[in-house]
Amino acid sequence: MSGNNLVLPIVLWGRTAPTHCISSLLVMDDFSTIITGCHDGQICLWDMTPELEICPRAILFGHTASITCLSKASACSDKQYIVSASESGEMCLWDVNDGRCIEFTKLACAHTGIQFYQFTIGTQREGRLLCNGHYPEILVVDATSLEVLYSLVSKIAPDWISSMSIIRSHRTQEDTVVAVSVTGILKVWIITAEVSRMQDLDPVFEEESKPIYCQGCQSISFCTFTQSSLLVVCSKYWRVFDAGDYSLLCSVASENDQAWTGGEFIAADKVIIWTEDGCSYIYKLPPSCQRASEHFRSDVGKTKEGSIPPLIYSITARADKQKEGEGDEEELVVEVMCLPPSEYDLELYTAELLYHHRPLEAPLLICPPVTRFFFGRREPFYKLLIQGDSAGRLSLWSVPDTSPLQPLSAPVELQVSSTISLQEAFDKLAPVSAGIIDQLSVLSGKSEPIKVTASVYIPSQGRLVCGREDGSIILVPATQTAIVQLLQGEHMLRRGWPPHRTLRGHRNKVTCVLYPYQISPRYDQRSLVSGGVDFSVIVWDIFTGEMKHIFCVHGGEITQLIVPPENCSTRVQHCICSVASDHSVGLLSLRERKCIMLASRHLFPIQVIKWRPADDYLVVGCSDGSVYVWQMDTGALDRCVMGITAVEILNACDELAPATVDALSHSAVNLKQAMTRRSLAALKNMAQHKLQTLATNLLAADNADKGNLPKYSHNALVVQAMKTNMTDPDMHVLFFDVEAVIIQLLTEEAQRPNPMLVSPETLQKSQAGADKGGSFLANKIFRQVKETMKETIKEHLLDEDEEEEEEMRRREEKCKSLSLLEYNLTMDTAKLFMSCLHAWGLNEQLDAICLERLGMLRPHCPISFGLISRGGHMSLMLPTFKESLLHQLSLATGRKLTLTDIVGKGTYGVSRAVTTQHLLSIISLANTLMGMTNATFVGEHMKKAPARPPRPGGTPETPRRTSAALNQPSNPALQAQIKQGWSQLAAMHCVMLPDLLGLDKYRPPLLEMLARRWQDRCLEVREAAQALLLAELRRIGQSGRKDTIDVWAPYLPQYVDTVSSPGTTTDPSPPAPPPPEAQPTETKAPEEEMDVTDDDITAAEFSDRHTEWKIILLDVLQ
Amino acid sequence: MNQQRSVSELPKMSAASQVERAVLEEEFNWLLKEEVHAVLKQLQDVLKEASRRFSIPTPGLESQLKQENFILGSSTMDQVKGVLTLQGEALIQADINLKVAKSSQVLHFQFREDKQWKLQQIQDARNHVNQALQLLNSRDESHCFKTGAEVNKLMDAVMLQLTRARNRLTTPASMTLPELASSGLMKMFTPPMPGDVMVNFYINPSKLCLTVYQLHVLPPNTTKNFKPTGSSVLHSPGAMFELNNNRFEVSHVHKVECVVPWLNDTLVFFTISLQLCQQLKDKISVFSSFWNYRPF
Repeated sequence: MSGNNLVLPIVLWGRTAPTHCISSLLVMDDFSTIITGCHDGQICLWDMTPELEICPRAILFGHTASITCLSKASACSDKQYIVSASESGEMCLWDVNDGRCIEFTKLACAHTGIQFYQFTIGTQREGRLLCNGHYPEILVVDATSLEVLYSLVSKIAPDWISSMSIIRSHRTQEDTVVAVSVTGILKVWIITAEVSRMQDLDPVFEEESKPIYCQGCQSISFCTFTQSSLLVVCSKYWRVFDAGDYSLLCSVASENDQAWTGGEFIAADKVIIWTEDGCSYIYKLPPSCQRASEHFRSDVGKTKEGSIPPLIYSITARADKQKEGEGDEEELVVEVMCLPPSEYDLELYTAELLYHHRPLEAPLLICPPVTRFFFGRREPFYKLLIQGDSAGRLSLWSVPDTSPLQPLSAPVELQVSSTISLQEAFDKLAPVSAGIIDQLSVLSGKSEPIKVTASVYIPSQGRLVCGREDGSIILVPATQTAIVQLLQGEHMLRRGWPPHRTLRGHRNKVTCVLYPYQISPRYDQRSLVSGGVDFSVIVWDIFTGEMKHIFCVHGGEITQLIVPPENCSTRVQHCICSVASDHSVGLLSLRERKCIMLASRHLFPIQVIKWRPADDYLVVGCSDGSVYVWQMDTGALDRCVMGITAVEILNACDELAPATVDALSHSAVNLKQAMTRRSLAALKNMAQHKLQTLATNLLAADNADKGNLPKYSHNALVVQAMKTNMTDPDMHVLFFDVEAVIIQLLTEEAQRPNPMLVSPETLQKSQAGADKGGSFLANKIFRQVKETMKETIKEHLLDEDEEEEEEMRRREEKCKSLSLLEYNLTMDTAKLFMSCLHAWGLNEQLDAICLERLGMLRPHCPISFGLISRGGHMSLMLPTFKESLLHQLSLATGRKLTLTDIVGKGTYGVSRAVTTQHLLSIISLANTLMGMTNATFVGEHMKKAPARPPRPGGTPETPRRTSAALNQPSNPALQAQIKQGWSQLAAMHCVMLPDLLGLDKYRPPLLEMLARRWQDRCLEVREAAQALLLAELRRIGQSGRKDTIDVWAPYLPQYVDTVSSPGTTTDPSPPAPPPPEAQPTETKAPEEEMDVTDDDITAAEFSDRHTEWKIILLDVLQ
Repeated sequence: MNQQRSVSELPKMSAASQVERAVLEEEFNWLLKEEVHAVLKQLQDVLKEASRRFSIPTPGLESQLKQENFILGSSTMDQVKGVLTLQGEALIQADINLKVAKSSQVLHFQFREDKQWKLQQIQDARNHVNQALQLLNSRDESHCFKTGAEVNKLMDAVMLQLTRARNRLTTPASMTLPELASSGLMKMFTPPMPGDVMVNFYINPSKLCLTVYQLHVLPPNTTKNFKPTGSSVLHSPGAMFELNNNRFEVSHVHKVECVVPWLNDTLVFFTISLQLCQQLKDKISVFSSFWNYRPF
């Protein structure tokens, strides 16, 4: 999918929060955001209030492996960038405010630690990232481009770096990097200004290399209070060193098998150290470690192991054992042991005291929690200990500055300041977070809906196939079910709406669903294939709901169903490749209804299936790196190889057929692949689409001249099921391609005879023609539709499975050829999309028009949108985002807001990038609808597609025009009202939004994003971008325009002074003047003679031009 | 199978599975309490053996590590002979004899006194296996596993390290010829290596390999189609590259190798432990499908 397309995701998360097994943590400097990375590769952004309330806001997708480290990547507070690194060597730069991916890169080795470092030469400031990991150097990476600039190398005993710390010197230009290697050697590098400026790959050697005998070093940190000591934490002991000559000042061994995992200075004389099982201890350092003390360095050279400095606090995380089957909940009890503030008597504090405070029962977590200490550098001046665990829970402790005042003999409790898990945040929501078919999945007597475990969307039919954990498969119109979940309307009164079909056959969870026809037209369009944990693969007829065949060839859960590539032998071409958890691969022939090959000798889980059709080979890549080559025809194992040969064989398959690549390890996890797959599917759909267009042209003879519209390959709506972890239920992302919606709307408009223009005679003629063609059939279908609807509603009122089965069979007999309810997919998509985007509640009059005349529906609650950025990286708002948004807006407006206050309009206060995308979408769509006949979402025409191309559903092609659909739009007064409605909607979003919302609730659109669309290939988007850009330039006023010009001026090409247009001042890349057809002619006159010498003139020019623009705009709109 | 039957069978099935479930639950508890620890113990023993093979240098005492000499040769050709001395992960001495075909003159190179060449592959493998051991050390008999997911997570982490350790040995870094030419390796020899000879050392999979490339300079405006070759572990004759505005073509490639017995042992240990891990995961997964089972 190209980044150029205007694609908006909407997420339906369902009630189960995604698995978030936290692997790394970061708190932003201003203490308003916490960032967590998880083992599955997602990053979660949490908002934190000054009262330490936390609320998850968004999840960032893009990494394919576990997040190993997070670091901030910018120094200034207005640009909040972070960098994340994953186990597979990926590095990604994100904008924390809106979740945009700014830059990404991939190296061969994984980073395990990143430190941000800003250096200054004169006035110039540049950000650097120092990275260490599974390689023997420290890589210095540019913080904006993520390019490796140079590396810090060891001359003596080079080895992996376990941990490093940067010591900033305020006196000189020299900053020091101190690192400990895995073999316990302390390394020191000096970064001078000269070194930083160096751009070539010359290595920098260390200044000092000193064995400090710290093997298994976990962390190293520098005391920023005294600037004179270093804390090194190893799993079995922690030590304090002098930062000057690295001599040992103090060493404390761990007691009772505790493994230390990190530590930090919290004051000049105090350190906090935490263990693997989540306990933390605060120690007071002995006088020999304190610079201010007269005993400083008195012990150098004679420090003994085992002298334990006084323990001041200990924080233990303890979890109660949870019951089986319940959610991941645990109770955190924090105990603080307060000991007499005895500075002198070290002997008092023995191991026994510590022992007392170890957790009695280990938390029911699947891996050790991550603990970090963060020190607020600005107000509020918090010292925060923060912990994230495998259940997606964050816990915060505010660390007190002072030692306990009076000596206490018994430990007192320090309350955890704040704690929340993702699931808890989801559970708190009211209304609960919607899942795509929740209304069809709630069984009587159960509160939780049946989880969707596998799904596939069939774009050509607009239908979603959902396999569920009870073994049933639901076929449902995607837009209809999404409308139920997202929008309010009369459908709320109907149970079991929309009409759907249930396929029952699997005995347990359905694990994968495949619709082969979507991938290749060589398959029967009736066949749907599903695999389950009951080891079976079932072939269904989706039009009758009949179970065609059950394959029981595997000895484990089916994990994947794959379509073989085109150029395989004819026998294999009609097969489906199934992969099971018993490490077997089968080729199941749908035509012969038998398994033609079963490859089952693999010792390790199958990670990838590749094909060499020319040699009749099936290549199986296993998770341990071994590759098995199977002959498809004979089923013989040709080869089994490892190492370089294995890699070469796999690569050779890619070279032969790049499209057949199919990694299995993260089937639904890997978004990038999902995206590629989606576009591949779209490409395949194109061939089919061509045929459809041809058929349409033949049938709609009177519209022949309009038939030469650009052929369109993308689908307006794609529903992509995603899961972040294999054990999670599916969540569904609805991708709306604005350009595709517009094109489909226009195509349908072009195919419709225009009742405003045609005379009554022609109307009758065409009607007669339609009747002749297939009104008999059309009427029959219409009757059946009604019947089906009635039946479905009835059957769900009865709500009995047996009844349903019977009903279904009866219905099948009655209407073999009929698939579910017919409806106008394009208009439904537009209805859903516009209803989600409209800023409800700003103009009551307009809202009423939208609801009544235009047929839009108000959302139940603020909708979770997403933002797609570079390289298929994506940020999706969690349903809980509205809570933090509410809080934020309440704070800004100074009054308590409720959820209904922010429905619709709330999203315009989320981030500037989101606003830009949304405004562009809604304005371009409203403009498109304005130009259409009968562009309302109410009325009979919504049930039928007007002259839709033949559906793959198999019904014989007829122009499905009912008399109702034709009669309705012929009312010119109504038509005018509808048009006016759309124009008002467009005008409100284009110019009135900032005033109506107020600047505290409105994040203005980004000028550069608008400017980039100035010449968008889609005319409607282009016009919307131009109108918005001018409106925004006017809004920001003279000073704002000057600021914009100042910001962009350095990037402008030199010739900008001679060819000037409003677009170029904000847009660095395409300095071309706007195309003539996009601009009203009146505005073109002053452009040529404009000679910009002064910013003010430009600005004045802008405002002049804009007044003109606005007049024109309003003329057009009203 | 028809639908009618499968529906009517359902109640019977769930009744049977009640008893089955109880048994399975008991069996699963045994797996978590007994079997997992037994496997982990075995795994730890195997990995300790593997780790012992990689002698870890103690700071300051590197010189006390055992030195091993390897004579590298090939059964098919005798143009190149090499004697390499390996100490831990570093090559501390190398003697290379190269017989140039056309002049029948024997070139002799050895490492400079002050230089040694670290084999990064061995160091990486050693570090990965030690990380795997660390993961296992924190979960000894005293640790009580409560869920299958916990075991799976641990196994995934261990297997990731082990796969990486093995991959480091089985898949040497593929380099482009200019990368090889500019690596420090060329400056390590005395007498200095002539401009038309390049060498490379690597491990694959348990053999210490030495590759010698003989180059010839392509005339600047040659009619021959110049196409620089990409990165590869072993370049073949005819590969071309450009360095400092000179174009070169590989004329001869000589590869000699010698098995390092202890590396072979470690590879066997890696394979055994990976299989142990996978088998444990498979055992858990058998139960997990029953675990999720809910009769509907």
